[in-house]
Amino acid sequence: MSAAIAPKRSLLARAADDRMVVAVALALVATAAVVAGGGLSGYRVNTIGQLACFALLALALDLIWGYAGILSLGHGLFFAIGGYVVGMHLLERSVAETGVTPDIVQFMGWKALPGWWGPLESFPVALLAAMGVSFAVAFVFGWASFRSRVSGVYFAIITQALVYVAMLLMFRNDTGFGGNNGMTGFQVVFGVPIQDPAVTKGLALASVLVLLAALVACRLLMIGRFGRLLVATRDDEVRLRSLGYETLRLKLKVWCLSAVLAALAGLLYVPQVGIINPRVLSPELSIEIAVWCAIGGRGRLAGAIIGAVLVNAVKFALSASLPELWPFVLAALVVVVALIFPNGLLDLGKWKPTLLSRSRALEARDATP
Amino acid sequence: MRMGRRLGLLLLALAAAWHSPALAHDRAQIATQACSGAAGLSEAAATLTAGASSATPEDAAWAATLTGALLDKTIRCGARASTIESPSGFIDAATLAKAAPADGSAPVLSLKNRPLVETARAAATLFAGATAGERAAALRALERRAASLPPELFETAAAREPDAGLKEQILGVGQSALLNSSDVAKRIAAIERIAAQPSRRAETQIAALKSDPAYAKEPVFAAAVDAGLASIDRWLRVSSVANTLYNGLSFASILFMAAVGLAIIFGLMGVINLAQGEFIMLGAYVAYAVQETLRAVAPGLLDWYLILAIPVVFLAIAAVGVALEATLVRRLYTRPLMTLLATWAVSLLIVNLVRVGVGTQNLQFVTPSWLAGGKLLVGDFIVTWNRLFAIVFAGVTLVATWAVLKRTPLGLNIRAVTQNRAMAGCIGVPTRRVDMMAFGLGSGLAGLAGLALCPIYNVNPQMGSNFVIDSFMVVVLGGVGTLAGTVVAALGVGQINVLIEPLYGAVAAKVIVLLMIVGFLQWRPEGLYAVKGRRK
Repeated sequence: MSAAIAPKRSLLARAADDRMVVAVALALVATAAVVAGGGLSGYRVNTIGQLACFALLALALDLIWGYAGILSLGHGLFFAIGGYVVGMHLLERSVAETGVTPDIVQFMGWKALPGWWGPLESFPVALLAAMGVSFAVAFVFGWASFRSRVSGVYFAIITQALVYVAMLLMFRNDTGFGGNNGMTGFQVVFGVPIQDPAVTKGLALASVLVLLAALVACRLLMIGRFGRLLVATRDDEVRLRSLGYETLRLKLKVWCLSAVLAALAGLLYVPQVGIINPRVLSPELSIEIAVWCAIGGRGRLAGAIIGAVLVNAVKFALSASLPELWPFVLAALVVVVALIFPNGLLDLGKWKPTLLSRSRALEARDATP
Repeated sequence: MRMGRRLGLLLLALAAAWHSPALAHDRAQIATQACSGAAGLSEAAATLTAGASSATPEDAAWAATLTGALLDKTIRCGARASTIESPSGFIDAATLAKAAPADGSAPVLSLKNRPLVETARAAATLFAGATAGERAAALRALERRAASLPPELFETAAAREPDAGLKEQILGVGQSALLNSSDVAKRIAAIERIAAQPSRRAETQIAALKSDPAYAKEPVFAAAVDAGLASIDRWLRVSSVANTLYNGLSFASILFMAAVGLAIIFGLMGVINLAQGEFIMLGAYVAYAVQETLRAVAPGLLDWYLILAIPVVFLAIAAVGVALEATLVRRLYTRPLMTLLATWAVSLLIVNLVRVGVGTQNLQFVTPSWLAGGKLLVGDFIVTWNRLFAIVFAGVTLVATWAVLKRTPLGLNIRAVTQNRAMAGCIGVPTRRVDMMAFGLGSGLAGLAGLALCPIYNVNPQMGSNFVIDSFMVVVLGGVGTLAGTVVAALGVGQINVLIEPLYGAVAAKVIVLLMIVGFLQWRPEGLYAVKGRRK
C-alpha cells in the first residue's frame, strides 16, 4: 500500500497539494475580507454573493460529474428546492413581522399563506426542510436510477427530463407555489428590512463563507478514502464491483451530498435576488451548470468555482450591454473548451498553440467520463 | 293586442294552408296582400311558404319571382296593380305579363318579416330553381328553420329533385321538419333517422323533444326519444375515444420521426444529439423557404410545396448533420457527456442564429387545398387531412428507414458497427464514414419531422425544445438498435400523453410519463427492445 511507503502526512497538508484549490480558497478569504470591509457598492456586493451561490452550485455538480463521472443535467431542481423553501420561509417571516399581505396571497386567490408553511417561519426548520427535501428527492431518484444501473448519457437525459417536468409542474398555479409568478415581495431577512445594505452584505458574506467551507470540506472528503473510491467508480465501476465494493451506495452518497449542496446554494441565492420562480427549473439553466464545470475544469473542485465565476461574470457584464451576444459567446466557449481544452481552462497552462497538428490535443484525464 | 290578433291570424293561415294541400296559389290576392303593409306581407310570405309543396311549377316560379322582387326592392306597389321591374321590362306582379310600370314604391321589409320572405323565396326556389346549385343554396337557407317548416315541403321537394346527392340532403334536412309532424309514426321514424347520424347537434335536437307534450303522453314516442338519445350518446363516446386515439397517433408520428434519428445515432455512437430539436425546427424553416421560393418562381406548384420540400429538407438537414459530425461530434466520440454539452451549444447557436436572421415570429404557412378540412367519420370524429398527412408521412418514413437499415449496404454497415464497432472495423467497415452517414440520416429524419409539423404546429425558433425531451423519453423507453422499439415507445408515449391529458391536464401527463419511464427502467434498464449483449 502506498501509505506504507510514503511518509505519513497530515490530511490538511495533503489537501494543500492542489495549488489551485489553495489559491481559490485564499481568494475566497480575501473576497470575504473585502466584502466585510465595506468598501464596495451594494451592487458589487450583491454580484459577489450571487456568483458565490453559482460557484457553490457548480461545486456540487463537480462532486458527481468530476469525481463520480455521473453527469446530472437536472441540478437546477435541487437549487430550486432550496430556493422555494427559503422563499416560503421569507414570506412567513415577512407576514409575521410586518403584517403586510404578500402579493402571492392575492394572485393565488388565498386568504392567507397555507397553514402547512407555518413551521418554516423558523430558519432552522427551513434549513432542515431544504436539505431534507432535496436529500429525499435525490435519494429516491438516485436509488431508482443507480439500482437499475442507469448511467452516462441515459442518466443525463433522464435528469434533464426530471427538471423539465418539475418546471412544467411549478408553472401551474394549482401546484400551489405561485405558478408562473413564483414568490417575491420579501420584506425582512432575519428581522432586518431587505433594503438595508447590511442584509446584502451579510448574505454575500455568508455565501462566500459557505462556499469556502464547502470547498475545504469537499477537498478533505475527496482526498480521503471516499474520494478515491469515487474516482475508481468513475474509471472502472465493474472492476470495483468485482472487488466487492457496493458502488450503488458510493454513488448514492455522493449524489445526495451534491443535491444538498445545490439546495444550500439555492437557499442562499433567493434572498439575494428577491425572487424565486419556475425559470430556475428550465433545462437550459441546468445544462449551463454543467457548462460552468466543463469550462472551469472537472474533478478538481477549484475548476468548477473558477468556471462558474468566470462564465457568470461575463454573462453579467454582457447582459447589461449586449444581451443578444451572450448566447453566441456561451456557445463558442463550450465548443472551444470541448474541442481544445478537454479538462477546461485548467489546461490553459499546459496548452501549446499548435492548433492544427493532430498530436496537440490535450488528452482527457478520463477516457470514459 | 292588435299584434297578438295578427299573429293568431297568421298561424291560422299557416294551419289552413297545411291542411289544404291541393290548393293552387291565389296569385292576385297574395300579390295584393304583399303590398298591404307589414302584417299583410308576413301573411303573404307565410302563405307562400305553406303552399310551396302543393304549388304547380308555374306557381312556384312566380312565387320565387315575387319574393325575389320583394327582397331586391324591384317591386312597385301601385294603387290597383303592382309591377316588377325585370331585365326585360316591367311585368305585372300577379300574372307576370308585360305591363305599364305602377307608380308606387317597394314595401319596407322589417327585421321581423324579412326572414319570412327569405324563407318563402327559399321554399319556392327549392322547387323552381333552375340549377342544382340554386336549389342547394335554397336548402341551406331553409336548413336553419327546418324545424318550423311543414314536413311535406321537403318530402315533395325530394320526390321531385332530379339530383341524387341533393335529394339525400333534402331528405336529411326534412328529418328535422318531420320531428314536428302531427303523425307520431313519422316523428318516430325521423328520430330514428336523425339518431343514425350522431352528432352534438342531433343530440340537442332530440333532447329538446323531452319537453314535448307527446313525450309524457305517448309511451312509444318517449321510448323512441330515449332510444335515440342512448344511441347518439354511445356513438359520441365512441367518436371521442376515436378522436383521442387519432390525436395520440399523430403526436406519436411526430415523436417517432424526431426520435428515430436519435435512436440510430445513440445506438451507433453512444451519443445523444441535444440539437435534434433544433434540426426539427430547421426542417420546418427549410420547408418554409421552399414554399416561398415556389411562390416566387412557380406559383402553380405552391399547392404541392410540402411534397416538393421533402427531398430538399432531408438533404439540407442531413448536410447540417454531417457537418456537425465532421467538425464536432467525431472529435468527442470517447467523451459522450461532453458531446451532450457541445451539441447543446450548437442548438443554442442555431436557435439564436435563426432568431437574429429570420425573427422570432411564427412563420405563416399556406395550407394546401388537399390538406384543408377532413372527413367526418362517426359522431364528431373528423379525420383531419393535416394530421393524417403526418401519420401517413411517418408511416412512409418508417418503411423507408427500415428499408435503408435492412436492404442497403449503408444499413448493413450501420448495423454492424452498432453491434460491434471494433470487429466491424477489423473486417474493413469504414466506421468513421458510417458514423458520418448515420448522423446525416438521423438529422435528415429530424428535418422531415419538422416538415410534417408545418401544417399542424406553430413554427418558430423555440419549437424544437418542446419536442426534444419527449424524444429522449422515446429513446430511453424504446432502447436502441431496433426500429420496433422506437415505434412502440413513440406510440406508447404519444398515446399516454394524449390519454392522460383530458383527465388530469398536460403537465400531469408529462409527470406520469416520466415516472412510468423511471419505473420501467427498474424492470428493463436497456429499454424495450435491447440488443442482446453484455450488460455494462
